[in-house]
Amino acid sequence: MLEAVDVSHRFEDGTEALSGISLALQPAEKAVLLGANGTGKSTLLRILDGLIAPTLGEVRYAGRRVDRAALRDADFHQRFRREVVLLFQNPDAMLFNPTAYDEIAFGPRQLGLEDVDARVRHWAGLLGVTPLLGRAPFGLSGGEKQRVCLAALLVLEPRVLLLDEPTANMDPRSTGWLVDFLADVAQTTLVTTHNLSLAAELGTRCLVLGEGRRLVYDGPLQDFLGDHDRLVAANLVHRHRHRHGDAEHSHYHAHDWD
Amino acid sequence: MKDRLLLLGYAVAVIAATAVHDPWWLAGGLLVAAALAGRQAPKIALRAMRAVVFFSLVVSLGYAASGVLGQAVSVDYLILVNIRVFLLIFLTFALAARIDFLRALNFSRSLTYLTTLALSQIITFRRLFEDLRLAAESRRLRRLALRQGYLQSAAAASHLFDRAEHDAREIALAMRARGFFPPQPGTDARGS
Repeated sequence: MLEAVDVSHRFEDGTEALSGISLALQPAEKAVLLGANGTGKSTLLRILDGLIAPTLGEVRYAGRRVDRAALRDADFHQRFRREVVLLFQNPDAMLFNPTAYDEIAFGPRQLGLEDVDARVRHWAGLLGVTPLLGRAPFGLSGGEKQRVCLAALLVLEPRVLLLDEPTANMDPRSTGWLVDFLADVAQTTLVTTHNLSLAAELGTRCLVLGEGRRLVYDGPLQDFLGDHDRLVAANLVHRHRHRHGDAEHSHYHAHDWD
Repeated sequence: MKDRLLLLGYAVAVIAATAVHDPWWLAGGLLVAAALAGRQAPKIALRAMRAVVFFSLVVSLGYAASGVLGQAVSVDYLILVNIRVFLLIFLTFALAARIDFLRALNFSRSLTYLTTLALSQIITFRRLFEDLRLAAESRRLRRLALRQGYLQSAAAASHLFDRAEHDAREIALAMRARGFFPPQPGTDARGS
């Protein structure tokens, strides 16, 4: 469905961002992309969304190469942008309409759909943002912004959801709500996080980017979470000292500090 | 030392470019600056052209329009202004491509702090701007109507201003927390 074939990327200053990444997402698959900070998770999602051209390798969607030439084709561009959507880690980057209503209606209006209002209200209701529809997005809380952004993407009824640290701006209650919500969506999802307990709720397949900017694991999530050595090597667990009364010791933890 | 000399040379060149009023001399200065920029000259010239084209167009058209309305206009003056603006921008970009500002300003601790803060903010804003650009691209299904494009740009600009203001406050607070801005006589501990 959506695949990366031997993708490598270097930033303009020569810094290596990704090296030799190959992956393929299947329809309705729930995958989690794990990696410590700076391992290239966001860059990979941007490449998969056709926003950054990889230095080497290619991205393919429904069998067609996603590159500048393909995205200049208006039909393919519209299809790809409608069917593969990306939720940015910083929701402020995605909000540029005067009201939350306009934000959600932005996509359907571009498509010239007739039932824009019904679609907006349907998705606003599902994401619990109906009371916010008349408000300016920049005045909302982090969690509310994230919900409005998600509604603005889901209203297009995409096939692939790429979510970049979707809980980064959320409080625990909103995080719990999002986990439940994503468990029920029918779309293919690829979610980045370095929160291990959250990862276990977000998917069954796990892709891990190591500190060498390479994919160091691609397989069942539960197997990875049970592999202590791999968790340590991927910098996803840490050790620190504990005090229990007068006793002090140290061992590894996954405290999910965001 | 090299960086400081470059900065000094830049300051002298800027003063000269604003003091000279002969377009031929300014054009000569531009050629010298291009020669000094070496192989990077075409790239810098292109960047400078992009940076000034809107400003120069508006100023030139405005000046020409004042001629249509009966004011005396001088083509020499128009050429002079355009060359001067282009030369100043070219010099600035050429300097930015060659100099390490932190080394050039390390004779003053305050200037070094100020430069570090400015550079960190430039990097932060460059990343933020890139995020805004990519998010807009990601959500664009077809060519936007002019009005929608304006709304999008205005919202992005507004977000950048808000962020700049917020960051400025945070930086000022952090600097105060680390002992900068000692209270002046007649002010409270917060400096207000």
